[in-house]
Amino acid sequence: MNRTRRSLAIELALLALVILVCVFPFYWMVTTSLKTQVVAMQSPPAWIFTPTLDNYRQALFVDGVSRTLLNSLIIAVSTTALAVVLGVPAAFALARFEFRGKKDLWFWFITNRMISPIVLALPFFLIARHFGMLDKHITLILIYLTFNLPIVIWIVTDQFRGIPYDLDEAARMEGASQFTIMRKICLPLAMPGVAVSAIFSFIFSWNELMFGLILTRSEARTAPAMAVSFMEGYNLPYGKIMATSTLIVIPVLIFALIASKQLVRGLTMGAVK
Amino acid sequence: MKLRILACTTALAASAATGAMAEWSLKEAAAPYAGTTVDVIFLTRPGYDAIKAMLPAFEEETGIKVNITDHPYENALGEQVRDFVAGGDLDIALIDLVWIGNFAENEWILPLEEVQAKFPDIVDPALDMDDFFPLVLNAFGGWNGKIYGLPFDNYSGLLFYNRCMLEEAGFDGPPETWQELKDVYGPALTKDGKYAFALQSKRNETQSADSFARMLWPFGGSFLDADFRSNLLSPESQAGLQFRQELMAYMPDGIVAWDHAETVNAFAQGDVAMITEWSSFYTTMVDPATSRVADCVGVAPEPAGPAGRKPALGGFSLAVASQADEAEQAAAYLFIQWATSAANAREYLERGGVPARQSAYADPALAERFRFIPALVESWQEGVPEFRPRFAEWPEITEIVQEFGTRMMMGEISIEDGAREIGTRMEAVLERAGYYSGDKPLAQ
Amino acid sequence: MRGQVSRKTILAFIGPSVIALAVIGIAPLLYAVWTSLHFYNLTKLRQVRFIGLENYQTVLTDAAFWQAMGRTFLLLATSLPLQLALGLGIALVLHRPGLTLVKTLTRLSLVLPMATTYAVVGLLGQVMFNQQFGVVNQLLGQNINWIGNASNAFAMIVFWDVWQWTPFVALVLLAGLTMVPGEVEEAARLETSNWWTILRHVQLPFLMPGLVAVLILRTADTLKLFDMVFTLTRGGPGNSTEMISLLIQRVGFRVFDQGLASAQAVILLIITIVLARLYIRVFYKEV
Repeated sequence: MNRTRRSLAIELALLALVILVCVFPFYWMVTTSLKTQVVAMQSPPAWIFTPTLDNYRQALFVDGVSRTLLNSLIIAVSTTALAVVLGVPAAFALARFEFRGKKDLWFWFITNRMISPIVLALPFFLIARHFGMLDKHITLILIYLTFNLPIVIWIVTDQFRGIPYDLDEAARMEGASQFTIMRKICLPLAMPGVAVSAIFSFIFSWNELMFGLILTRSEARTAPAMAVSFMEGYNLPYGKIMATSTLIVIPVLIFALIASKQLVRGLTMGAVK
Repeated sequence: MKLRILACTTALAASAATGAMAEWSLKEAAAPYAGTTVDVIFLTRPGYDAIKAMLPAFEEETGIKVNITDHPYENALGEQVRDFVAGGDLDIALIDLVWIGNFAENEWILPLEEVQAKFPDIVDPALDMDDFFPLVLNAFGGWNGKIYGLPFDNYSGLLFYNRCMLEEAGFDGPPETWQELKDVYGPALTKDGKYAFALQSKRNETQSADSFARMLWPFGGSFLDADFRSNLLSPESQAGLQFRQELMAYMPDGIVAWDHAETVNAFAQGDVAMITEWSSFYTTMVDPATSRVADCVGVAPEPAGPAGRKPALGGFSLAVASQADEAEQAAAYLFIQWATSAANAREYLERGGVPARQSAYADPALAERFRFIPALVESWQEGVPEFRPRFAEWPEITEIVQEFGTRMMMGEISIEDGAREIGTRMEAVLERAGYYSGDKPLAQ
Repeated sequence: MRGQVSRKTILAFIGPSVIALAVIGIAPLLYAVWTSLHFYNLTKLRQVRFIGLENYQTVLTDAAFWQAMGRTFLLLATSLPLQLALGLGIALVLHRPGLTLVKTLTRLSLVLPMATTYAVVGLLGQVMFNQQFGVVNQLLGQNINWIGNASNAFAMIVFWDVWQWTPFVALVLLAGLTMVPGEVEEAARLETSNWWTILRHVQLPFLMPGLVAVLILRTADTLKLFDMVFTLTRGGPGNSTEMISLLIQRVGFRVFDQGLASAQAVILLIITIVLARLYIRVFYKEV
């Protein structure tokens, strides 16, 4: 009895430590964002201070972080929608049809997920420059497909394969086309997988920095690119940087928490086969 | 072509004369361009905040809208290069002096005379080019004998010292020479967790400009010799770099990660007795809201070396972008002319900017309020325009200097090997650019 | 019979995504190959010229490139074992019965680091690890120079990588643990109370697919790593934290030598594909 209690206590302590380590940086981020410049640069750092919302006012209304947040939202939502629309039929084909070169095709789709963005960023910049597509939302929406499509295809293919064949065979008997089978029979059953892949796409797109940095300048600038732009070597407005960081991170954290069950499922789907 | 320019210049002179008689006004000159928007990249530094605060008056008077995007210095070159090669929408180029060769050779910017000849009516008769410090105008705005940009955000390296700390240690003034700073002030002021000196040396332009070049020149060294071969292995260059290494004994740890902000903050917190920094930081150091040593700040020209006083030189000019359309070019010129004008220099100074107008510093009363003025004016009398070479190859070369400069300081590579590495790579860049085959004139 | 459909149908289903990925994925790559064979500097566009394999020769003999590559794999070799060990530990604790509420809370907190914008992680790192006013030094009661010292800076990168991705490992492994049939695990527990034996003989087979996925994804993500390091150290001090993606970005967009950077990128791509093929061939059942 005593032993169990002690091991429970240890377990509890370990879990508390995990929670603390996970959450503490966010606590520090938010509190720093509420500090004035002088307090933020104080040594040793202050734990108790008079909070101010000035950094947020400055970031949102003077420096235009609000617009970059809107840009990020537009881009992330559009690219996610596009990835799902394009990726779901491909996933269906990979799961259901037999054809030559299928393995290689699947492999090629997945490899895109592995490619370092800098490999694409260089030529994509030159091409976008050629077509006058720099600093446009559509450019980021398209290039984000390079990592979103593989995610959708990967996860949704798995999901489709989990659906028994008898269902679509019955439908085929009745003369339904493959498209109808996908839309009417399999897709509803695969919805959890689609949702998961959409959530992943959204989060990855929202968080992306390098393409945003290289392919936008002002009109289509994304929120992470904006946060980085405060790092002028002349002064370090840590309060403002943390306020902007908070504005970027909080929506995606809330989103991730709401969808946490699906997220974990998605991880296991993509990962555990 | 030449003839046309000549003709235009004559026309310009004529119109300037008649214009002056007819009382030139910004409002009237700008009337045809009202409603035009000009795009420009700004940094988040005091000089830019100053002009931003003054901007509404300009926009009201002219109807021209100035669309500013802020970028940190380290991204500003990349942003502009990418915009210019793509034929983007920037109408004004913000040019650090080391970028001018690049911008001019690519013809991304227009020579001032060409703009003035094209739009004679917008040239302010009170422009008075001679009022700019010649060194500053030529170094920041000039390339190959032509003026492209007007000096806007202007710096000279200065020695800022904590008078109180120095007095406490028995010094009644700042060091005159670098040697003195290291041998006498260094040991006396480095104690109890405080340091005599801090030299911002982060691996970016700060390493090249503020750290590496700063130690090269006063000791008689330089990047290149007369034939454009590396001069970094010369005894003088080596002495300068060696001196920097020895001086690190009196600097805080991890100085290789310090940018301006860390350095100024350490000084403002009273942890460091002396720093060599750009003039524009004066405001930060004397403002009690950002500084604990506001009452102790002293300003002097940078110390001298065996080769004399060779203070760091840096700063930005604004030039009209060639990719802008006609109306945008005219509007851009009007803004640049206004922002750098003698008439606005005083207000610019009072709001935290550092104008390059000699007339702005004439009032002796100003030196009391802005104690950096005498040292600044002295530093700008003469200097080394090629403190960092200003040719188009600088962006490539500075990356090499940054990498090996910091690694030298960290002791990962010896001074001599590091200098040799930089030299070899630098010469490879220059070779490829065609300087050694005679394809390109040796201009820096 | 199943799965036999007309070529037209197949094309209709996979065509759009294949075309999309070809246009945005393959076309740029071909363009990169073209660029890599040229002297192509953004600030010297008038001097663009074909130079054959000169850029590749430069890359292959450039110590900086291989040092950055080595550094990237060193990061993988340092942080992945830590992530696996910690992740497995957390998964095992979470898998034990009891303390339901706390465990739900833990699972929720584990989601947070993974979802955090990578660039923000780096910015947070700057604030928390600052020598003068950072909270880390305060909590440690030390005056450690994190950002300005080569090995400390590397350790800091490892810390944040572990912070962000251990949760991923933990959750994937936890999912594997829950796949172990209850009766098998109970039977094993009746025989031995040694957790290691159970892990080794009962649970490990179910963890394998997850471990493989972690290995593949972490390798790919480390080769891709840019944002967090860029905002935290920018590769400094010196080049002690300059990972391969940072190096290529620097050459391409700061030196503006797109030709050389493209050659570096092509070589990185080849390494990535070889590794991915190797992993997938060795560990993965294909479609």
